[in-house]
Amino acid sequence: MVKKFSPAVRAAMDHYAQLSDDLNKACDNANFVELRQAAKTRFLEQGFPGRRDEDWGYTKLTDFVQTHYRLEGVTHLELSDIQPFLPKYPALRIVMIDGWFSESLSDDLSELPAGVSIEALKDMAEIPSIHQVLNQHQGEIEKEPFAVLNTMLLSDGYYMQVSRNCALELPVFVLHIQTEDGHLSNLRNRIEVEENAEITLVESYVTLTGSAEAFSGFTNVVTEIDIAAHARVKQVILQQQAPSSYYFNNQFVYQGEQSTFNTLYASTGSMTSRHQNHLQMDGEHIESIQNSACYATGKQTVDSRTYTEHNQVAGFSQQLHKYVLDGEAVGVFNGMIKVAQAAQKTDGQMDNKNLLLSDQAQMDTKPQLEIYADDVKCSHGSATGQINEDQVFYLQARGIPKSQAIRMITEAFLLEPLEDVSNNEIRQWVANALSNALNG
Amino acid sequence: MLLKVENLQAQIDEKQILKGLNIEVNPGEVHAIMGPNGSGKSTFASVLAGREDYEVTEGSVEFDGEDLLEMDPEERARKGLFLAFQYPVEIPGVSNKLFMQTAVNAVREEKGLPALDMFDFDEYAREKIELLDMRADLLERSVNVGFSGGEKKRNDIFQMALLEPKLCILDETDSGLDIDALRVVANGVNALRSEERSFIVVTHYQRLLDYIKPDHVHVLYNGKIIKSGGFELANELEQNGYDDIIQQYQGE
Repeated sequence: MVKKFSPAVRAAMDHYAQLSDDLNKACDNANFVELRQAAKTRFLEQGFPGRRDEDWGYTKLTDFVQTHYRLEGVTHLELSDIQPFLPKYPALRIVMIDGWFSESLSDDLSELPAGVSIEALKDMAEIPSIHQVLNQHQGEIEKEPFAVLNTMLLSDGYYMQVSRNCALELPVFVLHIQTEDGHLSNLRNRIEVEENAEITLVESYVTLTGSAEAFSGFTNVVTEIDIAAHARVKQVILQQQAPSSYYFNNQFVYQGEQSTFNTLYASTGSMTSRHQNHLQMDGEHIESIQNSACYATGKQTVDSRTYTEHNQVAGFSQQLHKYVLDGEAVGVFNGMIKVAQAAQKTDGQMDNKNLLLSDQAQMDTKPQLEIYADDVKCSHGSATGQINEDQVFYLQARGIPKSQAIRMITEAFLLEPLEDVSNNEIRQWVANALSNALNG
Repeated sequence: MLLKVENLQAQIDEKQILKGLNIEVNPGEVHAIMGPNGSGKSTFASVLAGREDYEVTEGSVEFDGEDLLEMDPEERARKGLFLAFQYPVEIPGVSNKLFMQTAVNAVREEKGLPALDMFDFDEYAREKIELLDMRADLLERSVNVGFSGGEKKRNDIFQMALLEPKLCILDETDSGLDIDALRVVANGVNALRSEERSFIVVTHYQRLLDYIKPDHVHVLYNGKIIKSGGFELANELEQNGYDDIIQQYQGE
């Protein structure tokens, strides 16, 4: 059946298809061209999701398709420009400007610690195997409309490899900075962590002009993370783009036996943001933690979702997703834990808790379990409520003004998912960003 | 006089609970308010602390020369009124330390004293923990989360010690406490007694009063104080229950 699209959606689709053609003309390299063209065929069939698409009922794209974001342009920034966005803790630094790797602002890639290699994806186009590498998880990727769009506009990203037994002590800090209004940052990242290796990855999505009301950027990310047996990956993502921006991130994560994956998504920015983990636990005794802490106000929509497959025995997965919604904000959570028949002794916990600070704020939540094994311990829960007046009064009765009491309770609520971030400095850094957003 | 309550009338959800309550408390005095369930004991404590659910329809409350009913709950606390809750509330994620440092500094600000920094506060809090013989990890835990009933009430007494209020109201602090927890609470109260500090102990039973020895005992029934006396009145109630006094009152 051929899908029908409204004129606005059709115009947006044509615009991005044109961008893809422009990239191919300008270029470049047969590997990328081939990938883009296959994706384009798929994209033109599938298009942008509409409200009738089940997974998009609460995350509306009506306004998003009105603006046709551009892909060209490379802005030059000085270190002093990005200084305010850099953390105080020591880290290896990667800087992506409007989706393009910045050689001048990133650490020298030829001098990385032993066992770690990072390259800009655009510099890898000539490598014969790159086509295969980027096509490895095609099956999963092509189900996600924004991931298909990402492949159609394949341009840059980072490609990180951590070799066997290498435990990188320094976190890798990736600054994704948008500088130009109306610009699309199309990022395709790939992280390969080999057997028994370890890495901590921090990704920060910001806008150069900070909180400028009118600035609207579009960030579309696909990140593939392959975690080999016994390897450990910790990840923190902080999204605080300018309030009229759009953010879509699809993470495809594959875990080998006895590996651990711990990811936190913290979100305060963008008009519409949608962050999704697609996690496959493909070995025995795998551990995964997926948390999110989202704050939205005004007319923001914040959407965080997880898809978790337990495919082998004795897997442990834990999730805590917390939302604080003010103004007319809309929060969306969708989580699915799928336990395959082989995955006996699975322990999967998924919890979603939401605090509404205004009468107009709205939360749509859908935690789901699909279990084909008979000896498992799985649970999901969701609770949405308003601030507890008894708690507020308790603090007031000790001399704390009401507004401050509400702030303390709200902050404590929102920061709970951060407790699984083991690095103190990184946890504090995320906590500060969330607190600042809560305090306006 | 520290507290002067005149003809206090209050309602919740249009149901009249307090129907003309009078009481006067001088500095250093310990008053017990006793009464059967539903007599209005907890309502009285809540109204004094400023809980919004209750509407005062008549009467006045003067606290340290000021109109108490005009103040927000936080202002009452800053000026030295303290309520130990019947059911202390759990606040996940907020540490006792942050909570009490914020509270102590709010009260100090009111008194025109400089704020205590983290280190000064730690030292100050340690003194109080020792005074009350409490567990040292109390400060590090989230407010009342995972505490037993007894621990929650001890935490309230600890807060009372930190804030050094002028008037302490204990709202059925003894209910549900085993003998050991009761003793800790009573010792805490006795350690904080002074010539300037007054207490109103709201309770259903005499057992806490045996440790605290109030100067005055009042019987609250149907929203009014129907009888006042010394400590011997508590003994009489323990022996005979409330029925005799209530019947005597209804006969009048």
